[in-house]
Formats: sequence, C-alpha cells, structure tokens
Amino acid sequence: MTTPEVSWLAIAPELILALGAVAVLLVDVQWKPRSRVHAYIVATTLVLATALTAVQWTSATDAGATGDLGSLLAFSGMITMDGFAIFSRMALLAATALGLSAGWRFIAGQGRRGAEALALILLATAGFSIMVASNNLVMMFLGLEVGSISLYVLAGFSRERKESDEAAIKYFLLGSFASAIFIYGVALLYAGTGQFGILGMRDFFGVYLVLSPAVIYIGLGLVIAGLGFKVSAAPFHSWAPDVYQGAPAGIVGYMAAVAKIAGFAAITRILLAALGGLQATWLPIIAGIAALSMLVGAVLALVQGDVRRLLAYSGVAHAGFIMTGVVGGVTDGILFYVAVYSVQLVGAFAVVAAVSGVDGARSSINDYRGLAKRSPLLAGSFAVLLLGMAGLPLTSGFVAKFGVFASAWANDFQWLVIMAVVVSVIAFAFYMKVIVVMYMNDSDEELVPMGSGTQLALGISVAVTILFGILPGPLLEFAANALPL
Amino acid sequence: MLTWLILLPVIGAAIVAVVPSRRRELHLPLGIALSVLPLGLAGFIFWIFEPASGQQLVDFAVWYEPWGISWYLGVDGISLPMIMLTTLLVPIALAASTAITTRTKEFVVYTLLLEAGMIGVFLSLDLFLFFVFFEVILVPMYFIIGIWGAERRIYAAFKFFIYTAFGSALMLAGIIALAVTHTNEFGFTSFALADLMEVSLGTGAERWLFAAFALAFAIKVPLFPFHTWLPDAHVEAPTAGSVLLAGVLLKLGTYGLLRFNLSLFPNASVDAAWIMGILAVIGIIYGAVVAIVQPDLKKLVAYSSVSHLGFIVLGTFALTSGSLQGAVIQNLNHGLTTGALFLLVGMLYERRHTKKIADFGGIQKVMPIYAGLFLFMTFASIGLPGLNGFVGEFMILMGSYTTLPVLAIVAAFGVILAAVYMLWAYERVFTGLPDKKENSALKDLSVREISLLAPLVALVVVIGLYPNILLDKIAPSTELVLDQIEQETSFVIPEPGRLDDVFVAEGDHE
Repeated sequence: MTTPEVSWLAIAPELILALGAVAVLLVDVQWKPRSRVHAYIVATTLVLATALTAVQWTSATDAGATGDLGSLLAFSGMITMDGFAIFSRMALLAATALGLSAGWRFIAGQGRRGAEALALILLATAGFSIMVASNNLVMMFLGLEVGSISLYVLAGFSRERKESDEAAIKYFLLGSFASAIFIYGVALLYAGTGQFGILGMRDFFGVYLVLSPAVIYIGLGLVIAGLGFKVSAAPFHSWAPDVYQGAPAGIVGYMAAVAKIAGFAAITRILLAALGGLQATWLPIIAGIAALSMLVGAVLALVQGDVRRLLAYSGVAHAGFIMTGVVGGVTDGILFYVAVYSVQLVGAFAVVAAVSGVDGARSSINDYRGLAKRSPLLAGSFAVLLLGMAGLPLTSGFVAKFGVFASAWANDFQWLVIMAVVVSVIAFAFYMKVIVVMYMNDSDEELVPMGSGTQLALGISVAVTILFGILPGPLLEFAANALPL
Repeated sequence: MLTWLILLPVIGAAIVAVVPSRRRELHLPLGIALSVLPLGLAGFIFWIFEPASGQQLVDFAVWYEPWGISWYLGVDGISLPMIMLTTLLVPIALAASTAITTRTKEFVVYTLLLEAGMIGVFLSLDLFLFFVFFEVILVPMYFIIGIWGAERRIYAAFKFFIYTAFGSALMLAGIIALAVTHTNEFGFTSFALADLMEVSLGTGAERWLFAAFALAFAIKVPLFPFHTWLPDAHVEAPTAGSVLLAGVLLKLGTYGLLRFNLSLFPNASVDAAWIMGILAVIGIIYGAVVAIVQPDLKKLVAYSSVSHLGFIVLGTFALTSGSLQGAVIQNLNHGLTTGALFLLVGMLYERRHTKKIADFGGIQKVMPIYAGLFLFMTFASIGLPGLNGFVGEFMILMGSYTTLPVLAIVAAFGVILAAVYMLWAYERVFTGLPDKKENSALKDLSVREISLLAPLVALVVVIGLYPNILLDKIAPSTELVLDQIEQETSFVIPEPGRLDDVFVAEGDHE
C-alpha cells in the first residue's frame, strides 16, 4: 500500500479558512481584543484564501493547456482542482466577504460571542468549499456536514429571540434529516455501482449496461431529495421561510447564499458529471422539480406580507430557475446564475438587516413604507437588487435567466422555458410590490441608519448586479472555462 | 452617431441626477435643455438620411461573442419617423410638466431614461438588444405613472407593467427559440435581425413564433382584446406620461409588428393577415364606440387611440405599398395629434382639476385660443383633408381595399365615428354658454403653453400638405419589406397597390 501523495495546494484555501477560524477563537480567548482586530484576521484569511484559489486557477488552466487533467486530482482523487470547483469557491469566498461586511454590525454587537460567529462562518465556508471541490460523494458529504452544522448554529445565534430559536431547531432537525437522506442515497448509489468517486461513476455508466437499476434509481432520487433540501427547491423548501425569518438578519443572506452555491455545485457535479449516463432518468425529475419550485415559490411569494419570507419564497423560485439550467445541461449558465444570484441575495439581506433594526424584529413589508424618502440610497440599492433578482434587462439577473432558458430550450425542454418566462412575470409582480411600498407610499417613520459595512456590501452587490448586466462577458467567459473534470 | 442618440439622454439623466435635490428649480429647465440635444441630433440624422432602402448609419459592436449578441443599431425609413417623434415629444412633455412639483428630479431622470430606452427599441437590429430596451422602458414608465399619477395610480401602473411584461416574456421565449433554430441550422449563434431572417422555419413553428411576437406587440398597441390596461394607465398617468405613452410607447407595438413580425415570419404574416386585420377593425369600431360614451375627456382620447392604432395595424397587415407607408406615417401622425390632445386635456385639468365633459360647456367664450387649438387637433385627429391624419388614414384605407376590401370598408366607418365622438365632445365642452361659474373664470393659454403646441401644429400642417417630405424616405424601406415577403411566400402584392401610390412622387420606384 502506498501513501497517497499530498497536494497541499488542492486544499490550501480550506486550510487557511480553518486556520483563520482557529486564530479568531484563540486570539479572542487570549487577548479579548476589540472586534476590529477580528476584522483584520478574517479579512486576511479571506484575502489569502482568494489568492490561493487564484493560484489554483492558473494551475488548472495550465493543466487544461497541456491536457494533463489528472494532475488536478489530489488525495487519491478525493479532491479536484478543476475550474468548476474554483469558480464555485470564488463565489463562496465573495459571498462570505460580502456577508461578513453586511453582517458586521450584528457580529460586533454580539460582544464576546462575536468571535464564535466569525469562526462558525469561516468553518461553514471551509466546509462548503470542500464540498464544491469534492470528487467523491463521501468527501462531499463531509463538506456538506461541516458547512450545514455551522449554519444550524448560526441560525440560532440570537436565541434571545423566540423566532431564532425556532429557526435553529427547525433548520437542524429538517437539515440533518436531509443530510441523512443524502448519505443514504450515496450508499445506494455505491451499492448499485460500486463507486463513490464522481469519475468512477461516470466510467461505470460508460462501460456497463445496468439491467436492474432499481437500487441506483432509488439512490439517485434520495441524493436529489437531500440536495434539493439544501438549495430549498420545492417540494423540499418548507424550512426556508421560517429559517430566513428567524435567523439573525445580519447573516441570513450569507447563510442562504453559501448553501445555494454549494448545493447547486454538488447537484451539477453529481448529475452532469457522475450520472450523465442516467440523464434520461433524472432529466424529467429535475424538470419537474424546477417547474414545481418556480410555481410554488412565485405564487407563495406573491402573498407574503413579510419581506424575509418573500425573499425565502423567491429563493425557492430561483432554485427552480437554476434547476432549469441543470435541465439545460450547461455548467456555465448554472455557475453564472448562482454567482450573481448569491451576490444579490447577500445585498438584499443587507438591506433587510438595516431596516429590521437592532432587535431584528421589523421585517414586515409595512416597515418599508416610504423608504425611498427616508433613506434614498438604501431604497435605491434594494430596488436595483430586487429588479436584478426579477431579471430586468441590464442587470445580471437577466443575463443569468437568459443563459439558463436558452440552454434548456436548446435541450428540448420548451415547455419548461415557457413556464419559466411566465413565472418571471409573476416574480416581477412580487418584487414590484416591495418597490411600490418603498417608492409610492408616504411614511413618517425615522431614518434607517446604515453602517459602513452595510454600505460596502450594498455598493459592491449593486455594482456587480449592474456591471455584469451590461458587460457580462468576463464573468461568462470565466464560467465557460470553469468546467468540471 | 446612433449610439450617441441613445447615450445623450442617459448622460442627461446622469447630469440631472447629480444636481442636488434642494436646487429644485433647476431640474426641469435643465432636463428640457438636455432633451433638446437628442432632438438636434435626430434632426441632423433626418437631414443626412438617404431615401434608400436598407439600414443606414449602422453602429456595430460585439457584446458577448459566444452568445452572438451585439450592440447593433441602424436607422431606416420605418424607424426614422419614430426617432423624430420620440425626440420631439420628450422635450415637449417635460416642458408641459410644470405641474409636477414633488420629486421633480426623479421625474426628469425617469423621463430621460425612458427616452433612451424608446430610441433604443427603434434603432436595435439585434433581437437581444431590442428585448433589453423593450423591457427596460417599463420601469421608468412604471415609476412615472405610479409616483405622479392620479388617485388609482398604483393599480394602473401595476396593471400596465404586468400586462406588458407578460407579453414580452413570451416574446423572449420566441427570441430564444429563433436563435436556437439559427444555431442548429447555421452552426453559429446570432441574434441579429438579418441573420434570423435567414432561418427556415416549419409552418407550425413559424406560426407559433409569429403568435408569440404578435402577442407582445398586440398588448403594447393595444389591439382588441388586449387593450384593457390602456384606459387605466392613461387616465391615471400625469400629462407627460400620457403624452409619451400614447405618442411613443404604443408605437413600439405597431413598429414591432411591422419590423419583426413581417420580416421574420413572412408566411405566417400572410396567413394571419386576415386575423390581425379583423382584430384591428374590431379595435377601430370598438374603440370609437366606447369613446363616444366616455364621460371623461382623457378617457375619450385614450379610447380614440385604440381606434386609431387599429388603422395602423390594419395597414400593416394589408401588405400593400400604400397601406404600409400609410401605417408608418400614421404612427407619426397619431403621436403628434394624440400627444397634442393629451397636452390640451392636461392644460385644462391644471386649470379646473376635472376632466369630466359634463363639468364644462361654453369654454370657447372664455378660452378662444385653447378652443381653436383643440378644434384644430380634433380635425387632425379625425382626418380632415389637408391635415396629417387624412394622409395616413387615406393611404391605409386605399391600400387595404385591394387586399382586405371588406375590412377596409368597415374600417372606413371608424373615420365617421371618429368625427362623431370628437366633434360631439368638442360641442359639449366648448360650445353653448359658459353657464357654470367655475368655467367663466378660466384663463386662456399662456405663451408658454402655446409655444409647446406650436411645433406640433406646424408639423400637422406640413405633413398634411406635403407628406412627401416623409414618404420619400419611408417608401424605399417599406418596399423592401414587401419585396422580401414576395420572395419568401407565394403571396403576390396586387400590382395596382404598388403603382397607384397617390402620394408617392414618381421616381421613388422604377
């Protein structure tokens, strides 16, 4: 037996993130510093992790140029440094940086517990980062669990509020149930194919004709259900509104964004790379989930009176749109969509956090009345982000939608695309509802204060939304080059 | 140069946006001044425009190559009048907005962005780009109706937005379908109109796509039975909103039918011509009949738009030289006269704060200039010979008679009904004795208001007396559309229609 060769570069970003988490905790115990010091540590960690991911990108493009794709595998093929992983990791790091910036007021306001929140956030990102880079379903499960468990704790972080408690319990119970379903599905896939590895499964379906595929089909279904939960696709979405409403406003955007990025990266990798041979089986299932998610999400978002729940249900609809991209079978459309949507999501929740105030209680749509007069910048940013999510042209959301719709149409799922465009109109209706309240109603309420972290997060997310709406080329090219092995 | 036509209003909006909010007196004059620049540029473009077929002054830049999308602009005889109309109506609409006193800055910014979007729609030769503009203009218009509108403004704005967004959503699916078909057939992706015209479609697919595009444009026009958003939007919108809505936004629909449906789906267009014609004629008669019974002056003008735009759609799908040229020129005419009528109604509303016809009577004694101008625009609207409305409607009816005779005859009754509702309304508002106390104190138009209407009056007369100034430039482009239809289909344009162009000077076609 040979010891596997260790390629530190492949897991360097995760190592840095984990070290950053430990450093924050140790420094906090030893010196009890002000939150500013933590900010420096976390910022350094994220910058280092991003830089290492960029180094990975250069080695991935080198490997692509020389055709030596095997060099991208590490740890006996458990981890891969392919472009797909790197793009998703970049999106995770960006969402983390934005989320931390937007939630800084909340984290700093937690006093001594702030360090714990930071450590959890860094660990969650590290876990999801492993998940998107896993080339093996067991590895993927480990990453998923590291990320998910950190998020369960974060959901209940302000447990003085009853809703936060409820959100954490609900998220934990349902989430761990979903993880169990996922790992059971993985076990059944292993039973059917004898493989845990993504590439091994792909080769298996390339070589063998499966005569009694029942076990594989059940495994496939369970894997889809487990991951469908993580990305809040219907009919596995029921936790999302309660968690979005109850979790601390400052970090719920981050939580939702990273879970979506990692979840969709896993779904895409498993379905397109590993189980591409079973396409005929899973295409109708995914198309059905996509259609159901869009419909359920959009229709229920329409009747919400609470902005957080509205964003939660709209997230269900977005899961449907991204699933449409999975049906289209083109990874760049999915990656682009997930990346720009997660930025919009973090930005939107930065606004929600600012409006809901210190106690985090105010998220009814009535609390947004006349926001355009009280805080024009906040309202303007929110409007841009909402229109971006709705998919108005000249925002990144439109380019994203266009990409997934076009790929699904080319893949002969015309009915799904027609449904998707109709749902987009419903989506306009509920996003517009918020804009109407902000712009066309009067209000005598007070100004909403905006911390500098919120301003930074909003500025960046609005700029990204508009920039990639007008000039999507660079990001689309990056996504087009970011192929899974 | 065409890029600048779009950029100028955007830059103008940015300039107005950075003027501090407390300098409120600056926003509107600055906006008016900045909106004159695109008008000047459009005038220059009109000046150098060659009366030839095909796109001129083309601007092209690749946007994102793998997707085949590009910044592709051009102007031809069909879009040129629309550009002139848009750039002319925006400064007038802004100058007529002195009644808007709250959030003036936002108002000017939205109006200028709206202008950029509308110009973009008319100039786009790439369907992706076209869709971007087509959809983006909904937002500024939504805000204009929703913030500065009348009582039920939020409902009206919402209805406007959802109706039109629904139409364009299906068109988006249609655009994607066309592009995917193009990729499969030619091996590269393109959204350019010229490339997509080459796609060979099966009969079924072509009809579905025709329907998807036609629905989007029919809602915009609005064609019966998709018109129900229009009266709400018009009645609630502020004057400038109504002027731009009727003057330009509705034309996006008729323009789209002519530019995209006829060129992209010639077979389906020929097959569906009678359906579109019937819907158009129902719209003509229905709009006119409903207009007769309206108690509200603004609603009356709104329904008259439904009727007038029916003529344009009829002319478009009659597929003859005369009817097509008539449709294009009537696009412009309707913008001028209806824009002017909405301005006039708005001026009356500012004085009296009511639009109910029953509240008036005998106004011409106290406001003679106003009454004169209103009567003039009424005549233009009902198509009095010598004024612009006559040129367009006559050409449309003449041209339609050769291919859709029954519909043309029925549509002709629309002209009579137009005279009924406009003149009856005029009679009730202006003639008789000013027996209501509030009305006897009304002030006549100020110099500012007259100068707003003056350019419209002048154009109404010029086009009415000498339409060739436009038709010379329009005809080559509409002839090209017809030639393409004849090439692609077995449809033969009746020759009389192509030779007997009453208004086209000899030498325009061989």
